[in-house]
Amino acid sequence: MDLRGQFVVLRSLRVEDAGLTLGWRMSSRAALLNSGAQTVAEQAEWIASRPASELNFVIQLRSGQPVGMLSLVGIDETNRRAEPARFLIGEPEAVRGLPVAVESMKLLYDLAFDRMKLKRVYGTVVADNPLMLKWQKYLGMKEEGRLRQHYFIGGSFRDAICVGMLEDEYRAVALPRMNALISTATGDQRA
Amino acid sequence: MVTSDEVGAIILHALEALNEDSNPEDRIAVSLETPLFGADSGIDSLGFVSLITDVETALNVDHDLNISLADDFAVSRAQSPFATGETLRDYIMTLAAGQ
Repeated sequence: MDLRGQFVVLRSLRVEDAGLTLGWRMSSRAALLNSGAQTVAEQAEWIASRPASELNFVIQLRSGQPVGMLSLVGIDETNRRAEPARFLIGEPEAVRGLPVAVESMKLLYDLAFDRMKLKRVYGTVVADNPLMLKWQKYLGMKEEGRLRQHYFIGGSFRDAICVGMLEDEYRAVALPRMNALISTATGDQRA
Repeated sequence: MVTSDEVGAIILHALEALNEDSNPEDRIAVSLETPLFGADSGIDSLGFVSLITDVETALNVDHDLNISLADDFAVSRAQSPFATGETLRDYIMTLAAGQ
């Protein structure tokens, strides 16, 4: 399944992406993600074993250059909810000046709420990742709780902040803001 | 009524806060001439959202201004309000004058 936007394409993660995605996950920018595979073989095995309740994507520029990854996991069709996860821009220089992160999230939310007809998305953010927490809240997520010492990252236990967004909040808050951010990012082209 | 200098100080403070939350290699100049968003900016999307969140919060808490910076009005401007700290300051003064 490919999700196409103005600037990016979300295409399905493949086993052949193991080396690329492992490199991204082992970079300093991914320091606050859960630890995972340590070798390309382990990463390939992990990709091959993704369950049907997950949709895992590589974020590509329209030129075809892969620049990051994003997933929708824990897809629960009975309770109509899922968790956006594993969001990582691995090639920050390649996306400079482009609304890649915003459009990627917009494509994923469009999939969740418009195509899959989900009612809720949710997730957790490491408490000492203020940029990601502000990002999630600005794009419509509401803080719903705190899980104490939920993650063991970098040698210490960290709290997690639980966030969630309902479909009506997506349409009222998240979608207009994402559209505005995408449009203003391209303002110089329009003027 | 908030002054242009006060808005400028809010933007500079938000840039300082962004640097404190960023990796050393991602830190940017704290100046009103700093490009905020677009091709010339060293601020990524997460950083930009953090910046405008802090600015909106300070305008609300310190000056009782309920302003949304990224909306259709911002999009309608001939020049992006987010080109630099100066253009953002001027855009905020335009919004504040309308309240």
